[in-house]
Amino acid sequence: MSEREHLVRGVDHAAFPTFDPAGTVQFYRDVLGFPVVHSICAAGWGPEDHPDFVHFFFDIGNDDRVAFFYYFGLPAPDVAVGKGDVYARFSDDTPEYFVRSRHLAIHVDSEEHLLEYRRRLDASAWPVRMQIRHETIESIYTHDPNGYLVEITRALRPVMPQEDLDANLTVEALVDIVGRPHHTLDDLLVRKAELIVERAEAWQDAQPAQDAREPVNAPQGSESP
Amino acid sequence: MYVLDVPENTGVAEVAARDATVKVLRRGPYVVLESDDPIVVDRRATGSRHAVWYSCVAALEGCRITQWDKDALRAEAR
Repeated sequence: MSEREHLVRGVDHAAFPTFDPAGTVQFYRDVLGFPVVHSICAAGWGPEDHPDFVHFFFDIGNDDRVAFFYYFGLPAPDVAVGKGDVYARFSDDTPEYFVRSRHLAIHVDSEEHLLEYRRRLDASAWPVRMQIRHETIESIYTHDPNGYLVEITRALRPVMPQEDLDANLTVEALVDIVGRPHHTLDDLLVRKAELIVERAEAWQDAQPAQDAREPVNAPQGSESP
Repeated sequence: MYVLDVPENTGVAEVAARDATVKVLRRGPYVVLESDDPIVVDRRATGSRHAVWYSCVAALEGCRITQWDKDALRAEAR
């Protein structure tokens, strides 16, 4: 086995607490059609102060799962004030971009499939709040009954090899500058230019004969808010 | 100013290159827009959607961005 061979195989499960198991089952199983694939009913979990709970799982494709904990008797947080979900609450003055930054994005293969999930959500109590074309993906968003932001997304085109190079140079530049006081995007872009000068041509030369610069036909479309 | 050569960024590079003072070079998979004068890109002329527009610059060498809003992108000598 080579050193640091990439052995992992996607998300086994991502787990979240819920105070509304009925709504959660309705949203994931009945509206989205994600099968229930596993559950655990547990009388506590050892320590006396651990509540009894149910841990239940929905298949999100690719054998990956999203899972929830429902704890009997645990009081729900007050969601009448502030922002956020049942797990993380924020004050009203917290910027919306920050509240939304943590979310679950589930992949679909086509526009047809994206719009099918849009149809299912729009016919439910949790209609799509946004449909957005980002740089190379298109996404729909809603909040589940727990307030968790759920995104369903499709690729507008395949990822190109140079995007992997660019991502690596961006991350390396970020790591290089993040220790500087008052660092900015400008610092990152300047450092990244140095890395491009060092590596970009050698990377290009190492590419297979097929020209990585060959353009693909990017779908055109209007942008939603 | 470096722009990664992907289909979404084509409009940005093309609009920048309309200015005769801007030289278009390449370094690996990046388009390099080079000029002694400020480089100005009109957003509407590029046809770039929001997310593409605000992420189209890959790197800066010898210049800094002095405007990057809904109207234009402007880079000037540092």
